[in-house]
Amino acid sequence: MTTPILEIRNLHARIEDREILKGVNLIIPPGQVHAVMGRNGSGKSTLSYVLAGKEDYEITEGEVLLDGENLLDMEPSERAAAGLFLAFQYPIEIPGVATMTFLKAAMNAQRKARGEGELSTPDFMRAVKTAGTDLNIDTDMLKRPLNVGFSGGEKKRAEVLQMALLAPKMCILDETDSGLDIDALQVVSKGVNALRAANRSMLVITHYQRLLNHIVPDVVHVFSDGRIVESGDKDLALQLEAKGYADFDGAAA
Amino acid sequence: MRQTMPVRLNAAEETLIAQLKSVGAAADAERISVAGLPTRRVESYHYTDLKMLLKAVPPLAEAANEASAPALRVAGAYQLMIANGVVQSGTTAPAGVIVGSAEGSALSTRDDVLVHLNTALVRNSLTLTLENSVDPVIQIDHRSEGEAAHVADSVKVFVADGASATILETFSGSDAAHVNNHATYMALGKDAVVTHITVDLSGRASSHFATNEYHLADGAKLRTLVIHAGSGLSRTQLFPRYEGAGAHGDITGLNLVSDGQHNDITMDATHAVPHTTSQPLFKSIARGHGKAIVQGRLVVARDAQKTDAKFMHQGLMLSDEAEILSKPELEIYADDVVCGHGSTCGKLDADSLFYLVSRGIPKAEAETMLVRGFLEELVDPIEDEALGEALRSVIDGWLLGK
Repeated sequence: MTTPILEIRNLHARIEDREILKGVNLIIPPGQVHAVMGRNGSGKSTLSYVLAGKEDYEITEGEVLLDGENLLDMEPSERAAAGLFLAFQYPIEIPGVATMTFLKAAMNAQRKARGEGELSTPDFMRAVKTAGTDLNIDTDMLKRPLNVGFSGGEKKRAEVLQMALLAPKMCILDETDSGLDIDALQVVSKGVNALRAANRSMLVITHYQRLLNHIVPDVVHVFSDGRIVESGDKDLALQLEAKGYADFDGAAA
Repeated sequence: MRQTMPVRLNAAEETLIAQLKSVGAAADAERISVAGLPTRRVESYHYTDLKMLLKAVPPLAEAANEASAPALRVAGAYQLMIANGVVQSGTTAPAGVIVGSAEGSALSTRDDVLVHLNTALVRNSLTLTLENSVDPVIQIDHRSEGEAAHVADSVKVFVADGASATILETFSGSDAAHVNNHATYMALGKDAVVTHITVDLSGRASSHFATNEYHLADGAKLRTLVIHAGSGLSRTQLFPRYEGAGAHGDITGLNLVSDGQHNDITMDATHAVPHTTSQPLFKSIARGHGKAIVQGRLVVARDAQKTDAKFMHQGLMLSDEAEILSKPELEIYADDVVCGHGSTCGKLDADSLFYLVSRGIPKAEAETMLVRGFLEELVDPIEDEALGEALRSVIDGWLLGK
């Protein structure tokens, strides 16, 4: 059997005294796109932050393997170099740091961590230009400070651009549809779909089925009260949309 | 009210009194004998108690025999040097620049001990007259060389109507415990555009005192950037006066403070006539037990209607022990103005840091990127590219140092 790209076993995590993840189990084989759907506050975003290594959470039980390696032992930057990428629901604005400077620093830091040489400036520029064209990102946007004054659509396109350039094994997309109009959603989804590959897996976190019309998942999981309560194919998302979450987690909406 | 109890004088004060007497400044000597150096009870020195901080004053400077390498090189700059208070003969001045000398200090009279000392000790000021726009950066390289010395020097700059220039003053020298007292007086003619940058890169044992006085005529535009990145004790006083309608000042400054350092930027600005504007913006970064101070006073005269001025100081603490002190003051006598002040202080933003590390950038590098980003607002407006790069290298040098 091939090694899953992501394997989560009985993951428990809490913030201060409040337990948020209560035994998450999830296996994502190479090349598959899994969706996690759940109501607000069910712990979906916490799952993405815990995987990326945000400090605020304490992991009390369980383990996570990224392509067979113990993810939870790694620093956040090491996780990224090992091939994990989190597309943020709300990308952070960083004043004074040009987007281009940031992209180069990120790409070279990951290459360095993997023992590869730094990219030459022409190679870097070529890579950015190619990836940017598909996402309607011009060089003017890349000269601006990272995410500062970007529209909702620009921020999400910039996230997908980073994903394309960093070429991760495992992409986590946290509420990528939030803040997007229909046109922007199509551009972003197209960008994400272009990155689907046999050796790359994705975890799409959303509470609307809408996004899944554009990024069609192989498996859909329903997340409730800190764990996965139901899994199925893409039709499960349609059922959820029709019936609401109450049928799946027993709680009143 | 006269002070009845005599002040107990310390060694530094005794030395200053003797030095002032030796140059014939009896009145200034008497003033220190009676009141001593300012303590925290003097409002403008509240956070920089000179009596406590200035432990010793070395002998008055003698002419320097040798000079160390310039602390900062800017490609294409026209360089002038003042070593131990004495102007050195330089290369030919660019077109439109007249270099000369004037008797005494350039500063106007003001009730301030650093101004008194400078006025008493400086024999000759370097004068620069800029008749028209000057392309190359004009660098005045101040050195304090050799054994520890009490150095005073002064620069007087006249910028003609409509002229523009970028003037850089750098301060450096030997590692001895110098006490340096610098003065710069700058008069901007109508519609003159000036960028004035001062960078202290002196050794840690030095004390750096500087007083910059600016007079802006109608439509004049001034951008300043003070960088404290050297001396253990430093205080730069900025005294801009907006004296003509349409005058505008972007008065900016940066304290880069490491363990054991005490850096103070004190601005006292006067909007003297109607329709003048200013945007004072200061930043402080402190680590270890470093202490950074920014005081900023905006005085709006009674007639100075339509003044628009906003003071801001942003502090970034890189350690729990660091101190950043902020004192904004507004003194407004007019009734139709827009004036404000703001002050923030905090650590690096955890969310921003997480965003960068989540992209694979190691934590230390991500922190450096964020600090550079925080400071870019001060460096970015400087148009001369070589100068901007030189200033970024000063910031990077501090970030990589301890």
